[in-house]
Amino acid sequence: MIGWIRLFLAELKKEHRNMFHSRLVYFSLLIWPVIGFITSYYSFKPFSLNDNSPITRFVPPDHLVLFLLTGYLAYLFFWSLVQSAWQMGYERQSGTLEMIFLTPVHRLALIYGRSFSSLLESVWLFFTFVIMILFIVEGIQVDGWWSFPFAFFILFISAVIWGGFLNAIFLFSRDAGFFYTILDEPMLIFSGVRIPPLAFPIWAKGLALFFPLTYTLHIIRMLVMEAATFIEILPSFTVLLVVLLVLINISAFVIKKAENHMKQTGSMVLF
Amino acid sequence: MLIVDGVSKVYQSKVREKLWKTTYKEVKAVEDLSFQIEPGKIIGLLGMNGAGKTTTIKMCTTLLEPNSGSITVDGYDAVKDDRKVKSLVNMIAGGERMLYWRLTGRENLNYFGNLYGIKEATLKQRIDLLLKEVGLEDAADTPVEQYSKGMKQRLQIARGLINDPKYLFLDEPTLGLDAPIAKHLRSYVKTLAKEKNKGVLLTSHYIDEVEELCDEVYILDKGRLILHDTPERLTASVFKENSLHIWVPALPNRTQKELEKLLRTYHAKMEIKQSIDLEEIEIIIKTEQEITSSVLALLSNHQLTVLKLVVEQPKLEDAILHLAERRIG
Repeated sequence: MIGWIRLFLAELKKEHRNMFHSRLVYFSLLIWPVIGFITSYYSFKPFSLNDNSPITRFVPPDHLVLFLLTGYLAYLFFWSLVQSAWQMGYERQSGTLEMIFLTPVHRLALIYGRSFSSLLESVWLFFTFVIMILFIVEGIQVDGWWSFPFAFFILFISAVIWGGFLNAIFLFSRDAGFFYTILDEPMLIFSGVRIPPLAFPIWAKGLALFFPLTYTLHIIRMLVMEAATFIEILPSFTVLLVVLLVLINISAFVIKKAENHMKQTGSMVLF
Repeated sequence: MLIVDGVSKVYQSKVREKLWKTTYKEVKAVEDLSFQIEPGKIIGLLGMNGAGKTTTIKMCTTLLEPNSGSITVDGYDAVKDDRKVKSLVNMIAGGERMLYWRLTGRENLNYFGNLYGIKEATLKQRIDLLLKEVGLEDAADTPVEQYSKGMKQRLQIARGLINDPKYLFLDEPTLGLDAPIAKHLRSYVKTLAKEKNKGVLLTSHYIDEVEELCDEVYILDKGRLILHDTPERLTASVFKENSLHIWVPALPNRTQKELEKLLRTYHAKMEIKQSIDLEEIEIIIKTEQEITSSVLALLSNHQLTVLKLVVEQPKLEDAILHLAERRIG
């Protein structure tokens, strides 16, 4: 366990120095999701949000800001890890990936360490912004003091496990760049960041099931917008746990396969 | 001891025949290779481009898996017990990659040290020591992107030693370095083997480097071992003759005839070259025996002044070039 903690800290330090070297990086990490959030909010404005509006069947108009804020925060957690995994390509090109695989470091610890450190670096500014906004928006309904920390705990752990899975995928293929495209707009649309999945047609609901963000976001909104008790979220929480366990197992399997493949083909240095 | 026993490696490379049709071609990178590395010894791996040197190093460091044969490091199998083997070996390659350029030298070493799970106090101590040994103490807290090529290479060496490996693999470690820096690195590699008892395997295109450092040399050609010996014996097995070059102001006929008579008794060959300004004559004698003193005595008896004398022994480079030419021929 101490080894994992030390590795996480080492990754955090490396990631901070290597990828987040300028204040401009942090500035963009705040501005970009804020713009996304504002764009979405004002996209709804021209449309009727009265009682007859289709969207108000799922989101009360006075909860719209909170709905979008939670959606964008959760999306940022997940999306920042797609970017982090994409950086694996740079590790290949610079030869550092080969040096990492030369060491006996625990492979799962490595990908979760990368995921953890990227997440912390990428989201803390927008996270702070959201926390401040949450104090002034209407519509927050929680069961108790535990709801907020528990919601963020679920979000953080789910995102780290998701990030680990992506790191494993990007490790396996030098052509995994298409994931970047697949996971951008589709994840934003189908995970219910801007429109609740319940409002989707049946085929889109099916697609939503493929994104772990859907399950996480559903629980977070239950906790902070519907004052759900632990018993009430338990069925959804159980489903999320199963999804995360499946992701961990797939990640472990993919890493093992990826390393064996690289040992056979030597493709670790081909980029 | 690191034992490579009958190891072969075959790559499958894609051949695109048509737009949608791809076939695979097998390329034998290493074939039935066997050698050993003892602690304290420096082994040289030589060969032309594509001879299988880097593939061999990568198999020994567990980055590649052989198709057949076995590699054991202090009794641990490089495939089955790869994690154990990884803690016993390390690799240093030439060039400026394989480092995080935005991190400082110390931060790079700290990161890689953590990947090996080295305890914090030990790691801190080791980083300070390594930075001192490779002469990067003053630049320890400078980002690597501000390092010169030689400094980056020295940091690579420190990174390669961060886990205190028993066996170190050096793949073209002095590639593109200035002569004084390369010389310093060579002497450090010698220290690692002779004083710190590390087994070292070195590949290099600089044959002088191999000749200077290595206790034994393995020559590969298209993945196969073609020769193995000490640099001296390897050279001697190909070239038996030494060259004796003597410069004199003039060579009278009588002296030349007596010299030819003397050389006939030793089965030596002689060649005479006049300098362009006609001020000196170079006598080149090729012989398998040591005849320098006899030749000098003869010249002295004829009261000839020797302007310069050079005894040239064949070099490993000549031997390898000779072998390569013979194989191509």
